[in-house]
Formats: sequence, structure tokens, C-alpha cells
Amino acid sequence: MSTDTTGTDAATAITDSPGGAKRERLYRYLLFASASVSILVTLGIVFVLVTGALEFFGQYNPLDFFLGTEWNIDQHKLGVLPALSGTILVTVLSAMVAIPIGLAAATYLSEYASPRARSILKPALEILAGIPTVVYGYFALVYVTPFLAAFGLPVGTFNVLSASIMVGIMIIPMVSSLSEDAMSAVPDSLRQAGYGMGATKYEVSTGVVIPAAISGIFSSFILALSRAIGETMIVAVAMGQSPQLLQFAEPLANLFESNQPMTSAMITLVQAENAAGVIYQSMFAIGLTLFVVTFAMNLVSNWIAARYREEYE
Amino acid sequence: MPTGEAEWHGAESEVSQTRGRVFEALCLSATSIALVSVLVLLLYVANDAFKPLSADPGWHLVILVTLVLPAVGLALYYYRIDEPAGEVAYTVTGLPIVGFLLAGGLGVVFAELLAIDEYFALVIGVAAVVALLFAHTRLRPTAPLERVVLAPLLSIVVVFGTPPAAIAQFIGPDDWQLVVDPAVTVPGLGWHLDLGGFALTVPGLPYRIVSLPELVLKSPVLPLPSLQLLAALTLPIAGLAGWFVGRRHESRQDGLLATGLILVGGAATLALEPATGVAATTWLVVYTTTVVPLAVYVEGVYRRGQLAGLAFPVVLVAGGLAGAVLTRALGLAGPDVWLDWGYLTSAPNSDPALAGIYPALVGSIMLLIVVVMMTFPIGVGAAIYLEEYAPSSGLVGKFVTLIEINISNLAGVPSVVYGLLGLAVFIRWAQIPNGSIIVGGLTVGLLILPIVIIAAQEAIEAVPDSLRQASYGMGSTRWQTVRNIVLPEAMPGILTGTILALGRAIGETAPLLLVGIAASVRLAPNSFFDLGSAMPRQIFTWAFEPQAEFRYGVLAAGVVTLLVVLLVMNATAIVLRNKFERTNT
Amino acid sequence: MTQDNVTDDRTDRSTIVSPEDAGNESETPDPSGESSLSRSIAAEGRDGERVGTAQTVLEARDLNVYYDDVQAIDDVSLAIPENRVTALIGPSGCGKSTFLRSINRMNDLIDAARIEGELLFRGKNVYDDDVDPVALRRKVGMVFQHPNPFPKSIYDNVAYGLRIQDDTENLDERVETALKRAALWDEVKDQLDESALDLSGGQQQRLCIARAIAVDPEVILMDEPASALDPIATSKIEDLIEELAEEYTVVIVTHNMQQAARISDRTAVFLTGGELVEYDDTETIFENPESQRVEDYITGKFG
Repeated sequence: MSTDTTGTDAATAITDSPGGAKRERLYRYLLFASASVSILVTLGIVFVLVTGALEFFGQYNPLDFFLGTEWNIDQHKLGVLPALSGTILVTVLSAMVAIPIGLAAATYLSEYASPRARSILKPALEILAGIPTVVYGYFALVYVTPFLAAFGLPVGTFNVLSASIMVGIMIIPMVSSLSEDAMSAVPDSLRQAGYGMGATKYEVSTGVVIPAAISGIFSSFILALSRAIGETMIVAVAMGQSPQLLQFAEPLANLFESNQPMTSAMITLVQAENAAGVIYQSMFAIGLTLFVVTFAMNLVSNWIAARYREEYE
Repeated sequence: MPTGEAEWHGAESEVSQTRGRVFEALCLSATSIALVSVLVLLLYVANDAFKPLSADPGWHLVILVTLVLPAVGLALYYYRIDEPAGEVAYTVTGLPIVGFLLAGGLGVVFAELLAIDEYFALVIGVAAVVALLFAHTRLRPTAPLERVVLAPLLSIVVVFGTPPAAIAQFIGPDDWQLVVDPAVTVPGLGWHLDLGGFALTVPGLPYRIVSLPELVLKSPVLPLPSLQLLAALTLPIAGLAGWFVGRRHESRQDGLLATGLILVGGAATLALEPATGVAATTWLVVYTTTVVPLAVYVEGVYRRGQLAGLAFPVVLVAGGLAGAVLTRALGLAGPDVWLDWGYLTSAPNSDPALAGIYPALVGSIMLLIVVVMMTFPIGVGAAIYLEEYAPSSGLVGKFVTLIEINISNLAGVPSVVYGLLGLAVFIRWAQIPNGSIIVGGLTVGLLILPIVIIAAQEAIEAVPDSLRQASYGMGSTRWQTVRNIVLPEAMPGILTGTILALGRAIGETAPLLLVGIAASVRLAPNSFFDLGSAMPRQIFTWAFEPQAEFRYGVLAAGVVTLLVVLLVMNATAIVLRNKFERTNT
Repeated sequence: MTQDNVTDDRTDRSTIVSPEDAGNESETPDPSGESSLSRSIAAEGRDGERVGTAQTVLEARDLNVYYDDVQAIDDVSLAIPENRVTALIGPSGCGKSTFLRSINRMNDLIDAARIEGELLFRGKNVYDDDVDPVALRRKVGMVFQHPNPFPKSIYDNVAYGLRIQDDTENLDERVETALKRAALWDEVKDQLDESALDLSGGQQQRLCIARAIAVDPEVILMDEPASALDPIATSKIEDLIEELAEEYTVVIVTHNMQQAARISDRTAVFLTGGELVEYDDTETIFENPESQRVEDYITGKFG
């Protein structure tokens, strides 16, 4: 029957893969390999940090590292607490700058700004995130510190305050842009419901939109803080090179004196004259601590943001 | 109830009204405070780099009258009355700036990395590979897989040649050696392969295959460097411009004419050397990167009849020249700027007056080359896989989800941690020299890889699904759809994202510090394996110089140089994006 | 166009296209010359497996399609005859587009889609493991609801399919033929190098049809090809579809019942839940449907 012959022809026609099926597979594997590079990078980071840190802890008691209150490279005293205090100081101070300003900016952009103002302000804010951090460090050292001194603050050449202000300014766009995304994603029906009940714009913004977007806003805070913790160059340029424990007796003195967080302590270590052996290895222990903290914060932030997105989709 | 009536249509209470206004004002001022404070800092830095106050007040007056006022007036006119012309004006002003920067970059490459004859030979080699592959397409159109294998093989053999067998002796672990047996290997006759017990003799193989560029370089009659550039640089660009013009005019003849005219123009620049004393090759590079794109653009503007925009650069140049002539005639001193030609072309020095940024500038350019070569193929490949190939279910699907989460988390890992990775992997494990450009580039490349992937993913995602469906519906394979439909559509977006990511790369400092990029070098690096510095690294070094001339002069000029390079890169990316978005709607 | 015209057209076509088939299948020419073919299809379709005088090109057997847990096609069996226009109609969400896309395995591109049952193309189940969907789609082309020309020139759009198959002999000539068959040649012959996006919506859709037929498929699937177009462009597309059926098998999804009545030979009615309620000669469906639900749908009482 004629159906049969055409049937077989057609069957071979649609089962014979057109030329280049092998090539297709080759490209698929190549592309898959490049996508896997990112996993390799993560594994590489974890492997390098963990082996380096283990080597360090073989030569240096972990308790002395995590609970040690003294940091002196020359005397091989490698307690991380002073550098940790530096990190905490910078993070808290920069959050005090970035969170209110960033959140207010996000509210303005999302609720008040005209489309034209938005189209100018939003990219302008994002430019702040694009300025190299070494330039921010230079601003802090050369302009902000003398400016603060002119106000009569007893700041040293290298001090915590001006570095933290600059870190804060640097992470503002992170807070504002992500919070604004979260606030813009709040459905208009909620706002309308608010207005329908006679609420003012202020009441709708603070009472409806911000609470509805709160998880997105929190996730932006966490992400910004993790950026502040990992920031290196601003503090390396403007904050000095001597890690110090927090002085609870004189809280303000903490701000005006120099200090050194974990990130720039690593810079000092790698550049130290006697950077070998245990000194050198301590970098990996600090790096591991830093990596674990920031990675965990990023995970939490993504998790919160993902949960939040589900709410409105 | 009259009182009730009066209440409902009255204004809301004064307290809540004021509260609302105060809140809005607070939000607005918060937005501005960040912007304004950084703007002020930028003004400070510009002031320190250019020291405008050191100039004669008369100089400022003259420049204001000849240059600033006309330019601002014209800009206002464009803004208020003729917006399309304004766009032409900014493009036609920006194009030569980008062109000059490109010419500078090429100049650096020719001076430090690749001599002109080497470049010429390389281009001939690449052209030969392309021609061979094209011939293969013609002769064996049904063997695409063969081409996939042939393409890298041919590129390596023709462009680089094979390594001499003798060198192979020193590569690899002790028991896995490629030994040249003198009994068998008379140069040109054969290899003897000894894999620890297992021996293999390959008689027919030549001692080594010499690459085509080497042959060209050894040829006794090599044309003049300027002619080499004309053939290897201006000719391809002219061909490209001709193709573009031909498309625009819908006439192949016009395209050929444009190519011809551009080549004639290029040849004419050769005559400028005796007249000006500046090398013909310099003229040719500037001509190719600056004049050619400008001419092609202006021709398009002319066709569209938007000539009003072309007035802007004319006003700028004429105003600048008039200002220069007038101030010189009146004896008015200009500002004593830090950031001048000398600064850009001299090496760091302990004397601030002599210090310059040239080696660090070269280092940064070379670093970017490494970063691009590494991140672009991998980043775009990864994005294509994730957007076009990745299944969403099954074991592979889970792995893909892991990759996606991982990429977004990698983007948040502190840059200093990448420095540790580079230090451990590239320097301690792979034994690449500490502080070499390639180590810095690879490390920064790993750092911006997630950013490039995310940007490329966004660009690919933006390609309308209907196009993919149409392509698959016609029986395209995945790769055909990606290559013919998705990539051409997504490419402008991918390029924009990549340039923005490179902007991030050029300012990165912390990883460079960890992999030992030099604090400052006197000689620009000559190869990717040389010790080099980079602009942000140099700025970090200068930040600890105590003298005020460094802090408020050399350092400020370095910061401004870095920011200007960054600004030009970002502006190019944004213009590219706008142009692309407009043609799409 | 009236119902009568359609009948005439169909009769004409049957004499042009399938005289041999008609002979083989012992079709006796109706001396009245009116609608003989359709009657024979209808008659044999009811009592036998074979559908009329035309050969069966595509046949679904107990086809089920699921998107995750939602069933989009419910146990559908139908046979589509060669060189005829078969219309799939039904209210939105009834699964007619899903059925169309399952023919050339466009549903493969959706991860959530799952298929059970058989779909035979010339006797071969297209869901067999040894079938390459790419090869299948080169035999079974597709035209989509919204015109989707590539952002390339008109010429490159039509040549695209030939180029991806590395089949570039006489390219100019074949592009011209395809554009002529799609009744677009006269309108675009002087602007082949211009962007396809500059064409009007109706021209774009005809370009998409030209693009689909340039590779000479056996079947053309059309997913509401005129729903995004104005009435004039729609009527041009309809004329074109009828002409195409001389050489190709056309399966068309439409929500426009008049359109189905005008251009199709056979009509399948899907109702909610992906159920095929009735499949018969178009005339029968529109004039004398068996099912009350189909009659309600056709007369607008439901859907």
C-alpha cells in the first residue's frame, strides 16, 4: 500500500537527525562546562580557605585565634577579636548612615518622585555604587577627615568615623535600589485600598507600602551590611592599620581613633615583611571567617527576598 | 447638621498635612544628600587635579566668553527646542573622544605589547585561517563537525605553529615525557615519544611547524610599518564601514565607494609625517579610530538632514582655539594643572612634579584585556546555557538551580576573598609569577564573572520568546536558534553589561593587593607575564605619601584619570543601550 | 464568502489534487459534481478507520497532554487527511492550541508538559525515542498567532529555514517561489533587503507563511494566524490558506467559527477540558452536528 511506503520514508525523515547533531551535543557540553565554572569557583574558594585555615590552626590554637584579644604581627599574636571589633564598628556605623538614607530614598523614588525625577535620580544613585572603592577611601582620607577636624572633632589622620561614613555612602544605592524594587512590587490595589479609606499619602507610604514590602527591605539591609563587612579598600586607605578592641569606657573615642577591620588586616598581612609561615596562613583563617559570615548573610537575604516574592506573584 | 457638613469637605487637619509634607521633604533630602555629598567630593578632586584657581582671572573670562558661554547656549537650545539635534551633537562630540581613547589604547598596545610588524603578521595568520575555514565550508558543506575540530586546530597551527619538540622535553611530570631522540629526530624528520616505558616513534612529523606569522616576519621584503598598518588595521575597518554604509544606502556600490574613499584617506595621512614630524603610524591609528567612525556617522546625519547637531563640536573646537589664541596674545596664564599630557605619559617618581601614571595606565589596559578574554566567552557561554539549554527538572535541573543560586551568592563574596583564591590557585599552585598582569587579570576576571553572567542572562532573557518559537517551529536546532536569532538580538545588551562589569574590574584593588600587583613600576609591562601595576593600585600607593603635593595633586590627578576612564566606559555602555532600545521599539 | 463558495472550492480542489487517490480508493465521481468528496469522507469516516479518499497524514491515538497536573488534552483520537484544511475550533482554554503544538512537539520546549498516547505522522509515532523533534519540525512547519518575523531582512527571513538546513542551492529562486506562493512577492519584490519589521501586520504574517513554506514541509500548522489582523488582511490570509491546501496539509486553530466554516474541509470541535467532542466534515459540523453541545457552541449558546 502506498501509505506504507510513504510511512517508512517519513519515519526515516523524522528519525534521521539533521546534520550536526553531534555538533549540537558538543556545544551543549561546552556551554554546560562554562556554566559549571561558577561552581568550580565556589568550590575553589571553599577548598583554598578551608585548607589554608586548617594549616593555620595546626600551628596556632583556634581558641587563641577566635578569643585572642591581642593582634601583633611582629610578636606572632594573632587574636582576631580586635579586627572583629573594627569590622563591627564599621558595619554598625555605615548602617547608621545607609539604612535611614537608603530607605528614605527608596520611599521617595517609589512613592513620591515623578517619572522624570525618578529617571534621573535612580541611575544617579546607582552611579554611587560604581565608583571604585579606593576612590571613596581617598575621599575619606583627604577630604572627609579634615572636614570633620574643621568641625572640632578630635579625629586622627586615620580614623573609624570618616571611613565608616564613606562605606555608608557606598552602600546607600544597594539599600535604596533593592528596597525600591520591593516597594514598587507592592500591588497598587493595596495603595488604593489605603486611599479608599481616607488615608493620606504619608499614611499609605508608612502604614501600607513599607510594611507590605518589609521582607524585601530587610533583605536589602542584610545584603548591604554584608557588603560593608566585606569592604576592603575604603578602610585600608582611611582607617589605619592597628586593630583595637572596643573601648567601652569611652565610646566616642572608638570613632575618632584608628582601627582595622578583618578585610584590611589581610592586606597588611600579605604586605608584611615577614609574611611567611603562620602569619601568612592566618590570612586564610580570617578569609574563611569573612567568607562564612558574608555568604551566610547573602543566603539569608536571598531566602527572605524569595519568600517575599512568592507573596505577590 | 451644618457643622458636620462643614467638617467633611474641609481640608484635612493641619497636623497631618504638615506631617505629610515634612515626610516628603525628608525623603527627598535623603535622596539628594548622598548625591550632593559625592558630587561635592568629586568637585574637590577635580579642583585639585586641574587647579583652575591658579589661572589668571582674565584667562577664565576669555575662556568663558569664547568657549563656555557659546557651548552652554547651544546646549540649552538643543535641550529646549531641538532635542534630536542635541542627540546628534552629543554623539558627534563623544565619538572622537572615544576614538582618541581607543587610539591611545592601540598606541599603548603597539608600543608595549605587539610591534606593528608582529601585529601585521598576526593579522595575516588569522586571515589565512579564516580563508581556509571558508574554503572548507565551500568544499565540504556537509561536514560541520569536521569544521568544529578543524577550527581550533588550524588556528593554533597556522597562527602559533607547534612547539618545538625539544621544548616538550621540559614539560610535564618526570614519568610522562616527550623525549626527542636524537637518533630519530633530525630536525624536520620525526618525533620519538617516550611515555615512561611505552615508546612510540612518529617518523613523518616535522621537528616543528613554523607558524605563518613567523614566516611573514622572516620574509626579507616586509612593507613599511605604515603600509602594514594600512593593510592590517585600516583595511578591515574600511571594509566594515563600507558594509555598513552599503546597507544604509541599500547599494553595494556606495559601500565599495566608501571603503575605497576611506583607504585613499588612510593613504593620504601617510603624507602627514614629513609635514608634521609625527609618525605616519600614529596618524594612521588616529585616522582609523577617530576620523573614520566620525565620517561614517556624519554622513548618516547628513543623509537624515539633521545638520543642526553638527554645530556643537564646531563651536567647541573653534571656541577652544579662539580662547587659546586670545589668552596667548593677551599673555594670560592658564591653570597649572596636575593632570596633563606629561602626567599621562611619565612614570611614577618620588618628585611629585615629575610623577606620572603611564605604567599603571598600561597595566590597567592589559589587565582589562586579560579580564575580557577570560570572562566574555565563559560568561556568555554560561548565560546561554542557563537561559536556553538548562532543563528545569531532573538531576541536571537541580544542578542548574544550584548554579543559579551560586552565581547570585558569588556576586556577594568580598573581593578580598577572591584575592586569596588567586593567590592560592594561580601563584602557589599554578606557579604563575607573583604580581604579573595575567595573575591580576585572571583573579579580577573570576570576581566579575558572576556579574557578566547575570548581565548576559538578562540580555538573553529579553529576547522575545516568539522569535525562538518561530525558529524552533522551522526545525532549527537549539544551537542554530541561539546563533542566528538569540545572540544577534541579545548582543547589544550583552556588550552593555560586559562594559559595565569591566568598569567594576578597572576599579578593583583589593584582589590586586593580595596577588602582589606592584605598588608602582617605572617601566610599563611588556608582556602579560611581566610584573605590572594598575591605576587603582598606584592610587593606593600614593595615598600613603605624606607630602601635600601628592595628596592634593598627583593623587587627585590619578583619581580623576581613573574616574574619566570609567565614565567613558559607562557612557559608551549607556549610549549603546539607548540606541539598542530605540531600534527595538 | 458564503458557505456555497466553500463547497465549490473544495470540489474543485479534489479534482485537481487527488485524482489518483480517488481512483485508488475506488471513489466514484459524482455526476452532480457537488460535494462528492466531502460526502465520501463523511460516510467512510463514520464507519471505517480511514478518513475518506484522502490519505491520513497525521493521526492522534488516545492522546493526553498534561501541564504538571492539569490535563490539557483528554484522550483525543483523530485522523487528519492529506491536502485538506482541518480546523480545530472551541472556546479558549479548550486545548486546541495545545493539540496543535503537540503535533510538531513544540510542547517539548515547555518543561512542565507531559504527553501520553500516540501521535502518528505518516504512520510513525512522533513521540518515539528515535524521533528528532528538529527533523520533525522541518516536515511539519508552523505559523503563529502573532506575526513573528525575525529582525532581519525580508529575504533573510524566508531564506532562514533553507540556510539552517545548509540547503542554499538556487536560494534566490526558492525565496521568490515561497514569496509568490504566499502572495507577497508583488508587494515586496523591490524591498527584499529591507527589514521585515517594516511590513504591515498582514504582510508580516504572510511573510511568516512564506518562511514556513520555503523549506517545503508536508504539513503546516497555523495557530490562529489571523486573530491579530484586520479584516482585509484576514481575508487575504484565508485565500492563501485555501490555495496552500493544494500542496500542503493545513491544520488551523481558530476561535472564529465563520473562518473555520469558510476555509476548512474538516472541523474538530474541542470543548473545555481538552475533550474532542466531535470531528467531522465541516459542513456536517456546522449544519447538522450530532452533539447537542456542539450545536450549542456553534449557535453561540455557550462558549
